[in-house]
Amino acid sequence: MTIKETEELLLNMGPQHPSMHGLFRMVVNLEGETVTKLEPKMGYLHRGIEKLAESRTYSQFIPYTDRLDYLASPHNNWAYVQTVEKLMGLEIPERAEYLRVIFGELARIASHQVCIASTALDMAGWSAWSYAFRDRERICDMYEMTAGSRLTVNNMRIGGMSNEPPAEFWPALKSFLDDTPEMLEEYNGIFFGNEIAQGRLKSVGILSKELAENLSITGPCLRASGVNFDVRKAEPYSIYDRFDFNVPVRYGCDSYDRTIIRMDEIVESVKIIKQAVRDIPEGPIMAKVPKVIKPPVGEVYHRVENPKGELGFYIVSDGTTKPARLRIRAGTFINLQMLPIVSLGWKIQDVVAIFATLDAVLGEVDK
Amino acid sequence: MENKVLKEQVEKLAAQVNGEVEEIIGELVLKVKASYVIETLKGAKSFPNVPCDFLHDLFGVDGVDHLEAVYQLTSLRGPQRLRVKAIIDRENPVIDSATSIWQGANFLEREAYDMFGINFKGHPNLKRIYMWDDFKGYPLRKDYVTEPIEVRNIVRTRIEGE
Repeated sequence: MTIKETEELLLNMGPQHPSMHGLFRMVVNLEGETVTKLEPKMGYLHRGIEKLAESRTYSQFIPYTDRLDYLASPHNNWAYVQTVEKLMGLEIPERAEYLRVIFGELARIASHQVCIASTALDMAGWSAWSYAFRDRERICDMYEMTAGSRLTVNNMRIGGMSNEPPAEFWPALKSFLDDTPEMLEEYNGIFFGNEIAQGRLKSVGILSKELAENLSITGPCLRASGVNFDVRKAEPYSIYDRFDFNVPVRYGCDSYDRTIIRMDEIVESVKIIKQAVRDIPEGPIMAKVPKVIKPPVGEVYHRVENPKGELGFYIVSDGTTKPARLRIRAGTFINLQMLPIVSLGWKIQDVVAIFATLDAVLGEVDK
Repeated sequence: MENKVLKEQVEKLAAQVNGEVEEIIGELVLKVKASYVIETLKGAKSFPNVPCDFLHDLFGVDGVDHLEAVYQLTSLRGPQRLRVKAIIDRENPVIDSATSIWQGANFLEREAYDMFGINFKGHPNLKRIYMWDDFKGYPLRKDYVTEPIEVRNIVRTRIEGE
C-alpha cells in the first residue's frame, strides 16, 4: 500500500505543557512536520489585574505588579512606582534610586539566566539548565535577605524603598559580581558552544529588522534584529544617565542571537551594578510622602526597559485614592505577535525553540 | 528644541483632522474623532524630521459618556512621543483598524475589543483574546458589574467608613 496524499494535522500544544513556559496554548497546523499555520491562544492566566487596580489604592496595587513578570519582579515595582511618582511630581532620595538600580539590574541578570536555562531545557539541555538556575539562586538569596521573599520581592514603595538591605547583602553581592565572568564562561561552554544548540538555534526563526519594527517588538528581541534601541539610553529614567554602559546589538535576527544577546546584557548589568555599588551615597531611603496617596487629576505614561521588553504604565487619575484607569503595556504580550509569523515554514521542534527565545512569561502576557 | 518641532507638526496635523492639541505632563496629546484616526496616524507616521513611526501601545479607556482608543506613538530614532486619542461613540463603538499601518496593532486591538467592545473595522481576526468566546460583557467598562450588588454594597460601605 502506498500513501497517495498526506493530510494536514491539527496539533494542540499546551496549556499544560512544560515547553509552554506557563499556561500558553497554541494550535498548530502541520503538514508532515512543517508548520503551515499557528494560532496562539491566551488568557489561561488572565486575572484582570487592570480591573483589580481600579478598586485598590495606589499603594495596595504594588504587590500586584510583582505578579506580572514574576521572574523580574523588582522591575515591575519600579515601573509602577515611578509612574505614580511622575504623576505626583515626587522627588525620591538618592540612595533609594541607587538601590533601585541595583535591584533592577540584579533582576535583569536573574531573568536572563532563566531565559538561557529554559531555552536550553526546551532543547533537552538539562545540565545547562541546572547551571544557570544554580547561579540564579544566589540572586534569590539576596532578595530573601532584603525583602523576605525569593520571587515576588515587593520592596519598592511610592517615594522610595521599603527597607535597607542588611549588612550581609553587600558581601554576597560583591562575591556574586566577582563570580559572573566565570558563570558566563560556563554557560558559553555548556550551552552556546554546544554544537547541537547552535544547530537548533542558528538561522532559525528569522525576524527581520523591518518586521520587528512593524510588529512593535521591544527589548532583546528587537536588539537582536539589529536595532540599537534601549530606553535606558534613549530616554534615561531614574539615574541611568550617570552610568557608563553599552547597549548590546546583534545583527543575526535569528533564535541564536535572541538568546546570546542576553549574555551580553548580563555583562552590561554587572558593569552598572559595580558602578552603583561604588557611588551609592548614605542617606534616607524614603521621601516624605503623604499617608494617603492622592495624585492630582491627570494622566501619565511611563515606560521602563524590562528584561524582556518595554514595560509601560498608563494611569488616569481622577483625584481620588484609586486610579480611574490603569493600563499595563506588557512587553512580551506584544512580542508574542511575531510567533505566528516567524514560525511559518519551520518544523514543530523549531517552534518550541523560537518560543523559548522570546522568553515569554505568561504572568505578563495574560495580566 | 525637538519638542518645538514636534509641536509645530502636531498642530499642523490637528488643523487637518479637526483635532485638539493638549500638553499633559510633558507629553503632547492629540484628540480626534474616530473617523479621522487613520488619517491622523498616517500623518504622525510621516512627520518630516520627527516621525512618530513606532506604535508603542494601543488601548481603550472608558470616558463614561464616550470610549477612547489611545495610541501611544514613539520612535526608535528619536525622543519624540505623541499620544493620539480617538473619541468613539459609546452606543456604536466602531473605529478603523490600524493593522493596515502597523501589523503590531493586531493583538492590541483584539485586547481592546475584548475589554471595551470597540469594533475595529478591517481587523483580520477580531476575536476575544483573554476571555472565552461566549463571554458576555466587556470587563473594563465602568458599567460592568463584577459582583452581585448586595456584596458590592457591603464592600463599598466598609471602604467609605475607613
